[in-house]
Amino acid sequence: MALLVLCTIFALQSEFFLSERNLTTILRNSVDLGIVCAGMTIVIILGGIDVSVGGILAVSAVLIGRAYQVGMPDWVVVPVGLAAGALLGALNGVIISKSRVPPIVATLGTMYVYLAVLFLVIGGVWISGLPSSLSFLVLGDVAGIPSGALLLAAVYVFAWLLLRRTPWGQRVVAIGCDETAARLVGIRVDRTKIQAYALLGLFAGLAAVLYVARMRNVEVNIGTNIALEAIAATILGGANIRGGVGSLVGALMGVLFIKITQNGLVLIGVSSLWETVVIGSLLVVVLVIDAIETRRAG
Amino acid sequence: MTGTLKLAMRGIVKRFGGVVALDSVDFELRPGEVMALVGDNGAGKSTLIKTLAGAHMPDEGVMELDGTPVRFSSPQDAWSRGVATIFQELALAGKMTIADNIFLGREITRNVAGISFLDRRAMHRRSRELLDELDVVVPDIHTWVEYLSGGQRQGVAIARALNIDADIIVMDEPTAALAVAEVRKVLEFIKTLRRQGKSVVLISHNVQDVFEVSDRITVLRRGQRIGLLETANTTPEEVVGYITGAAAAKRRPAETT
Repeated sequence: MALLVLCTIFALQSEFFLSERNLTTILRNSVDLGIVCAGMTIVIILGGIDVSVGGILAVSAVLIGRAYQVGMPDWVVVPVGLAAGALLGALNGVIISKSRVPPIVATLGTMYVYLAVLFLVIGGVWISGLPSSLSFLVLGDVAGIPSGALLLAAVYVFAWLLLRRTPWGQRVVAIGCDETAARLVGIRVDRTKIQAYALLGLFAGLAAVLYVARMRNVEVNIGTNIALEAIAATILGGANIRGGVGSLVGALMGVLFIKITQNGLVLIGVSSLWETVVIGSLLVVVLVIDAIETRRAG
Repeated sequence: MTGTLKLAMRGIVKRFGGVVALDSVDFELRPGEVMALVGDNGAGKSTLIKTLAGAHMPDEGVMELDGTPVRFSSPQDAWSRGVATIFQELALAGKMTIADNIFLGREITRNVAGISFLDRRAMHRRSRELLDELDVVVPDIHTWVEYLSGGQRQGVAIARALNIDADIIVMDEPTAALAVAEVRKVLEFIKTLRRQGKSVVLISHNVQDVFEVSDRITVLRRGQRIGLLETANTTPEEVVGYITGAAAAKRRPAETT
């Protein structure tokens, strides 16, 4: 709904907004965030949060870049990127579940570590001139449908089936509702948490693969905003930050909302600084409404 | 007639640091009986129940299930041997449906292409059967548990216990914090369980409730069992006397028949 209003406003302000080329651009720009956001939604439903996904994405991207530079083929590079993401995600999960440190603090810590790794490896210089062999994954199309959209759809269908149609998904929701209750019915809470964070890491690794495929370089500031944008999109999509509730479809809408806002504001000539203000304000409004409703209910 | 006992706990001792919470307590349960467990705060009721539920390991003493010695290493262990404890917090996930809660941790699955998917239809069917058996009235099986009344939640928690074929159901203060009509409903659940041949342990502060549904009453006081009474042969006054210690002088545990 909000999405339609937004599109109408931008379409009225700029005739270029609705052009096929622009819409495809928005879609391509949404792929990284969209994929990360699917994992973030599951982690937030679990009652967790991960602010280090940007760092995970960055480390995976650097590994991918370096692997390409030493001449490794795609079929080695891609699994390396995915495995690095899953491993770093699992590390977050282990720290959170074994130390009982609040996830926001634990992942804040690992974010700094991961970003430090990025700087140590990259040394403040871009990795560039990477091969374009995988660019078709984001930039190409299959039967007229942009391949980025297909990938995004595949990730969301996979995540949705996992969350809503398997016992594993039931465990995630139960832990998000009430961790003590989940333990009492025999759910292996720690293991489920580690798996969820690893899945988010895996998605961040996939986003890194696609990022490198699309940009063919690794910037120093890669992944800076993605964690906060993913959390914002998930919350805008109806997830409860306290866990138990969330929607993958809603999160995907949240992603499109954020990306369309970014794109549209630039097109109608508003400074891109305002984009952050718009999304930030909206987030505050959503959270305040949620807090008021919770207080009324409880 | 010890051979017919469903559960026997003998000489259970549990210490926390220097405090003796359970001082050589005996507890027993016959098949198809409702045993009330009463006592003042700090009498040892929770400690005894947590031992039975597998949440505590006793320091001394033995526990027998159907005449076989057992040791529960965890609550899951106790559940898997058919001893289901329903704590006051109920262990329900508020933002999940009734059926999802009944099957939480033991979902029915269907194999599609090597992956286990939830078989929601089977779970809904079985949930409805269980709730019907218990006569739990809920608006819709898809309702989130947090929208149910306290009595309905008790019903869902009991249905979960029945789903795993528990034959001992321990209920910790199930009627506390419930409205009068809801209390009636929960007491009916307990009677239904007895009709189904289940053994029930009812922990309660409410002597009236205890007299309405129980067959026998175990009274704990300061970590010891000071009374084992046949409900039919005692009076609320006498039970209160045991609880407060006034009747301790004329100690007269009813022998098992």
